[in-house]
Amino acid sequence: MKKRLKTLKEGIKKIISRSTTKILTKGRSARKAVKSGFVRKAVSKAPVGVVSTPEATVKESKFYTGVQQQAKRSYEMPRDLPGGYGDCRIVLQVRDPWWNHTYWEVNESTINRLKSELGDSLYYNAKRVLRVYDVSHVVFDGTNAHRYFDIEVSEHATNWYIETAGPGRSWCVDIGLKLPDGRFILIARSNTVYSPLDGPSWITDEEWMVPEEMFARLYGMGFGLGKSSPVGKAWQERIKKALFSGILASPGMSSMSSPVRAPGGMAGARKFWLVVNTELIVYGATEPDAKVTVQGKDIKLKPDGTFSLRFFLPDGKQVIPVHATSADGIDEREITPIVTKETK
Amino acid sequence: MNKGYLCLVLHTHLPYVRHPEFEDFLEEDWLYEAITETYIPLINMMERLVADGVDFRLTFSLTPTLITMLEDPLLQERYLKHINKLIELAHREIERTSWQHDFQSLAVMYLNSFCKARDTFEKYNRNLVTAFKNMQDMGKIEIITCGATHGFFPLMDVCKESVRAQLKVAVSHYEAALGRKPQGIWLPECGYHPGHDELLKESGIRFFFTDSHGVLHGSPRPKYGVFAPVYCRGTGVACFARDLESSKQVWSSIEGYPGDYCYREFYRDIGFDLDFDYIKPYIHPDGIRINTGIKYYRITGSEDKKPYDMNLARETAASHAGNFMFNREKQVEYLADFMGKKPIIVSPYDAELFGHWWYEGPMWLEFLIRKIHFDQKSIKMITPSEYLYENPRNQVITPSLSSWGYKGYAEMWLQGTNDWLYRHLHKGSERMTELAKSYSHNHIDDLTRRALNQALRELLLAQSSDWAFILGSGTHTDYAVRRTKEHLLRFTRLYDEIKANSVDESWLSEIEYKDKIFPNIDYRVHQ
Repeated sequence: MKKRLKTLKEGIKKIISRSTTKILTKGRSARKAVKSGFVRKAVSKAPVGVVSTPEATVKESKFYTGVQQQAKRSYEMPRDLPGGYGDCRIVLQVRDPWWNHTYWEVNESTINRLKSELGDSLYYNAKRVLRVYDVSHVVFDGTNAHRYFDIEVSEHATNWYIETAGPGRSWCVDIGLKLPDGRFILIARSNTVYSPLDGPSWITDEEWMVPEEMFARLYGMGFGLGKSSPVGKAWQERIKKALFSGILASPGMSSMSSPVRAPGGMAGARKFWLVVNTELIVYGATEPDAKVTVQGKDIKLKPDGTFSLRFFLPDGKQVIPVHATSADGIDEREITPIVTKETK
Repeated sequence: MNKGYLCLVLHTHLPYVRHPEFEDFLEEDWLYEAITETYIPLINMMERLVADGVDFRLTFSLTPTLITMLEDPLLQERYLKHINKLIELAHREIERTSWQHDFQSLAVMYLNSFCKARDTFEKYNRNLVTAFKNMQDMGKIEIITCGATHGFFPLMDVCKESVRAQLKVAVSHYEAALGRKPQGIWLPECGYHPGHDELLKESGIRFFFTDSHGVLHGSPRPKYGVFAPVYCRGTGVACFARDLESSKQVWSSIEGYPGDYCYREFYRDIGFDLDFDYIKPYIHPDGIRINTGIKYYRITGSEDKKPYDMNLARETAASHAGNFMFNREKQVEYLADFMGKKPIIVSPYDAELFGHWWYEGPMWLEFLIRKIHFDQKSIKMITPSEYLYENPRNQVITPSLSSWGYKGYAEMWLQGTNDWLYRHLHKGSERMTELAKSYSHNHIDDLTRRALNQALRELLLAQSSDWAFILGSGTHTDYAVRRTKEHLLRFTRLYDEIKANSVDESWLSEIEYKDKIFPNIDYRVHQ
């Protein structure tokens, strides 16, 4: 008989948090961070940390096998993708009502052309800029934007997050050179994008008119209020007013029962820990054709007549009669180990 | 007479993960776990409801990648092997926990559920799509489609040809698998970009879903908020918006049901808790500890976890179902008065929430459906197609750009960790369009045609939003990077070889064998 004592986890796992962005974990996700040593990192050029939504947590769980990122796997990483495609282009895409993202590539031949046109000294004294145009409601021809602003970027930058703070407006961006005398030399022009509204439209439909207050109420209900919704502040205030001033706050809100978990139960606490469990292995051998019972239960012998059973061993006394009967039923043997376990 | 409708939508998706080149591949477990914990329990639930004469309506978006995997003989074979291993482990666990009765009864519970999973799997000849198809043919569920590989459409707006290909490939795949045309779609990540309804219309799709603000921030103002669908201006494609109140109750791990202390703890698995030598045959062959699916604890509310109590969890699920129904009744009654018409409450969830993440989810859903059937009159379950048939007159608006991701737009898929993808993905789209145009004539030899079709497969596989999501969430990123690169590199090589008229057939055969999806794909849809 052998007795094993093992710690169940191989080591102490630490939560490493990246310093630049706040890591927000709640409820299950917080436990997850502890248990699996996951690191939730958020590296974004935009000044917003990445947090998890319930939806994202569920989605992550689909891809969660428990394995840590560093686990060694027997497959090779494919080679890298090309750094560029020899294009001269810039692409603009919407991230949300307030931010757009742009990426660009300026190929060698364009740079050489600019150098020869401008001369080396002018070229090297020029600043590389993104010129962001507000092109709402116009067919942009390069001159008819409502306004524009410039963002200076380094020669090595290839993408940028642009804060337009312009929900409901259209945008276009040029990558170009700004010369010391103020001239702008266009390198490439992007597609046009439209930033979505961050609140309800001001346009109403005669046939489907709705009183302001009623709309605010429906609107608030649609959002289930508390959710960190993509709604501008001004509107949140209005909805709250309409909802709480009124006859009835949304009736479905009476969320019962689910206990509210004490938030951040683990925050601040030190993470060192130890788990100890014990298991007992009962093993032995007899004639391969014998009948064996352990604690009165039949067990199956391996072809060579051996057996091995493994039990979780709780505190207290375990009496384990092992009884063998020969195939012809004539011979019998019984051995009874008694094991006492206590934990201090 | 009912006062309103409840439309439950279960988005049922996994990205395409199939590695015939490896004996055993960790990420294939995503599928096996979802089959055991979500798909089969939901199928069993529906079978019981039908057997008991309980009428119900659910909407499932079975994604083309998931259907492909569920129908794949290799993965079916591997699932059987996987479930047999689990059954063996459950037997050993019953023995090991002989002196620990709290745990032994749970080991028996797992054994039963694994055996039931295997029986169900075999009953449908290993093809679970049949189970869903039967339910649809009976009129109990509506199956809608999704982007072919779950590409996030708003970030594909600069290459609409790819959106079109995602839709057309999905629609023809749906027809082949389910024997009819899809009426609706779950846009991947619920991501809608104004104008994409034109592409939906072109593909014969009649409705889609957005998050709440997709409709609430649409223009002109939607008179009924999210409680009635709208038609898109110019196309007439219907758009249903999500009700966040009902969503929140189920999703949220803080205020929602799944966080209840009586429910099973997801993160305590014997794959990590037990002695290495003992558990080794049941984890990854490289000796990497992984989840087995056997979990003995409840959430408890503290780090000192208590053993899971089946009866307590069951009672809790029943009471949460009652609470959900009560809240919907009140919501519908209030709205019906307020609106002067019957509201529709649209509640979409990831299907894998039920069973995989929230172990008691399928139980909760079954309680809910039975209670709705027997205990009340205010709400009626409905599918979107039925609703539109009954309520053909709806307001016309232009919905807003939106998704159901973090903060409601594109940020989850467009941030510092994953924004590098788009330069390559967009280039791939541009090149695919170029190929589709220059090879649109009919005199194309077989080998080139095969290469062109495979090129589209590779591009579509690279577009899965799952890779960007995984990069964004910062877990499992190696695999997501690897998949994106592999597909893009294969695409680029095919592009170069096709253009140089020098397709390497043996290599092509190899990647056709590895990335074996959409057998009837036609590259010409990418235009």
